[in-house]
Amino acid sequence: MEVFGQLAGGFATALQPINMAMLFIAVVLGLVIGVLPGLGGTSGVAILLPVTVFIAHGSLPGSDATTAIIFLAGIYWGALFGGVITSILFNIPGEPWAVVLLFDGFPLAKRLGRPGLALASSFVSSFLGALVSTILFTFFALPIALKALQFGPAELFAVFVLSFATLIGLGAEAPMKSLAMLALGLLLAAVGFDTITGEQRLNFGFISLLSGISFVPVTIGLFGIGEILASAEEQGIGYVENLSARLGLRDVVQALVELRKRLRLVLSNAVIGFFFGVLPGHGATAASFLGYGLARQYSKNKENFGKGEISGIMGPQAAADSAGVASLVPMITLGIPGSPTSAVIMAGLFVWGLQPGPVLFIQHPDFVWGLIASIYLGHLLTFILCLLAVPLLAMIMRVPYAIITPFIVVISIIGSYSLNNSMLDVFITVVFGVIGYWLRKMKYPLAPLVVALVLGDSTERELRKALIAGHGSPLYFFNSGLSTALMLTALVLVLIPLFRTLRARRAATVAGVSAPKPAP
Amino acid sequence: MRPYQVGTAAAIILIAAVAMFDSRAAFNPSAGTAPGDVGARWYPFWAAAIMGVAAVVVVYRSLVTPQAAEGVFSGRDSVFAVLKLAIPMLLYATLIGGVGWRTEEFTYTVIPPLGFYIGTAVYMGGFAWWIGRYKIWSVAAILVLFPLVIYAAFELGFRVNLPKSFLYDLGVLPF
Repeated sequence: MEVFGQLAGGFATALQPINMAMLFIAVVLGLVIGVLPGLGGTSGVAILLPVTVFIAHGSLPGSDATTAIIFLAGIYWGALFGGVITSILFNIPGEPWAVVLLFDGFPLAKRLGRPGLALASSFVSSFLGALVSTILFTFFALPIALKALQFGPAELFAVFVLSFATLIGLGAEAPMKSLAMLALGLLLAAVGFDTITGEQRLNFGFISLLSGISFVPVTIGLFGIGEILASAEEQGIGYVENLSARLGLRDVVQALVELRKRLRLVLSNAVIGFFFGVLPGHGATAASFLGYGLARQYSKNKENFGKGEISGIMGPQAAADSAGVASLVPMITLGIPGSPTSAVIMAGLFVWGLQPGPVLFIQHPDFVWGLIASIYLGHLLTFILCLLAVPLLAMIMRVPYAIITPFIVVISIIGSYSLNNSMLDVFITVVFGVIGYWLRKMKYPLAPLVVALVLGDSTERELRKALIAGHGSPLYFFNSGLSTALMLTALVLVLIPLFRTLRARRAATVAGVSAPKPAP
Repeated sequence: MRPYQVGTAAAIILIAAVAMFDSRAAFNPSAGTAPGDVGARWYPFWAAAIMGVAAVVVVYRSLVTPQAAEGVFSGRDSVFAVLKLAIPMLLYATLIGGVGWRTEEFTYTVIPPLGFYIGTAVYMGGFAWWIGRYKIWSVAAILVLFPLVIYAAFELGFRVNLPKSFLYDLGVLPF
């Protein structure tokens, strides 16, 4: 099997001392980021993205672009695990995908007095979920990429349209708000020069806007600064529960016994999480809620949910970590990010001079297989660190607000400045921080904005290449069976919210007719 | 909640209108555009149009559907908590680069650039003193240690050249 040979080569790359050292540092940073309530995985990855430019260009002995992606992805793996620690011990979710652990993780820790078991249950299921997802990643990535190599501009444009339609049709927020954010992202991506004709546009006479609006400062602002403003409003680190953060061997053994009882649930949630994570815009957070719902639906002990049921921890965790890994699949194989975090990682590829998508498998196999191997190693490392270092990680929650909050701002400013040595980028970060905070309050989703900003240029390029190839005829998009199928699927996805509304109205009308009229 | 929703959507409509005005040549592709191509302005024009139409629908829906009665903030404390973080952050970003403007003959400086390291010391020290209510020696330790650690990690470790102060330009300080 060709895959095993490629994977062995990937392990040889990932196991190089510099790559292992950076993976270790990244995982520790990710765990810290995961634990901090004011800083999410996406913003952590975005803030540290500029650092990877120096790693990719060999600032460290032996480092290259593979080291950079291992570092960036390692932060994400750490954050996936770390976010749950504060949910279970302090009743404060460190990450959006850890919110669901407040339902059963915290009750198991507090009411039933088993914080160690709750943590161990979360870690073993996260690890198994990620492992299943990484195995699927290993075997699915190459065939998808090889198929994608045959895509022309019409198929590529249809894939982009499909990913945008997924964000609108399957998003949690109002579809029109998703559409507005998506279009805003496309518009921001169009600022500067037109890549085909070289014409200036949307720069309003400002020379500094000619190079366009860089993706990194916008993301650091929307996620990094936006999140800490939101957490400041909630008085973030205010009341903190004080549970024991010790995790003993007994807890781990019991968690493994409990895992064995729920192996079918965890494995099926991991597989579902994988396919859910592959869909654009549906990273770990949505999968965690789906995983919880499935665990509850098929449990014989539904009444125990919300009171410390272990399935309520293992189900969502397996799905969330699996989806987190899977969100890299479309990014690597098709050049389409599966989640905001993978959008940031994809921006990293552009910055290091690589083109995400199927060509990566041909031109840079070391890079792709090194990344895949590092996912196995990264999760193993994170799992071991979590078992050993929970008390240390829990102590981070006790770092005072007056120090940690301005420190996050300082790191965000460094991140936005250092990419282009530009003070304009610093202001873009701050302004988008405020905008991101406000949009969040107004319930506008940020994922479509970020994904569209990353994909905007490629979408326009493929659209216009297809139109040129088709002599201006839009029918060119329906020339091949694949692009037609993708376009029709996109149409169906966009119409889903409309069907939902119509069905809800119909149900309300029926209920209104059949309900007895109130007495006058 | 309704006025805030309408106001936000109105701001989006305004951005869309400005972008559409800038891209008004969408239907008149410039010379040199390849046969079949739609030109440089078509794509931003329609992206802005879609954004504007979506925001108009958001306005309509927020006017006709019931909205939560409470305001956008849960109370005065939560507004102050955000402002306490946002205003020093804006000042910090401004002070790093300084305030001034340039004409063809002369550069006017209102506040000289403090650079990243002095700006960070002032910002972190000020935050610890104002929000954390720390004693003066703790504040002093914070305003010295953090810039030093950042200098060692970024300037020496990753060789990131962060903005320097006017005192660096005068040759007084190394940062």
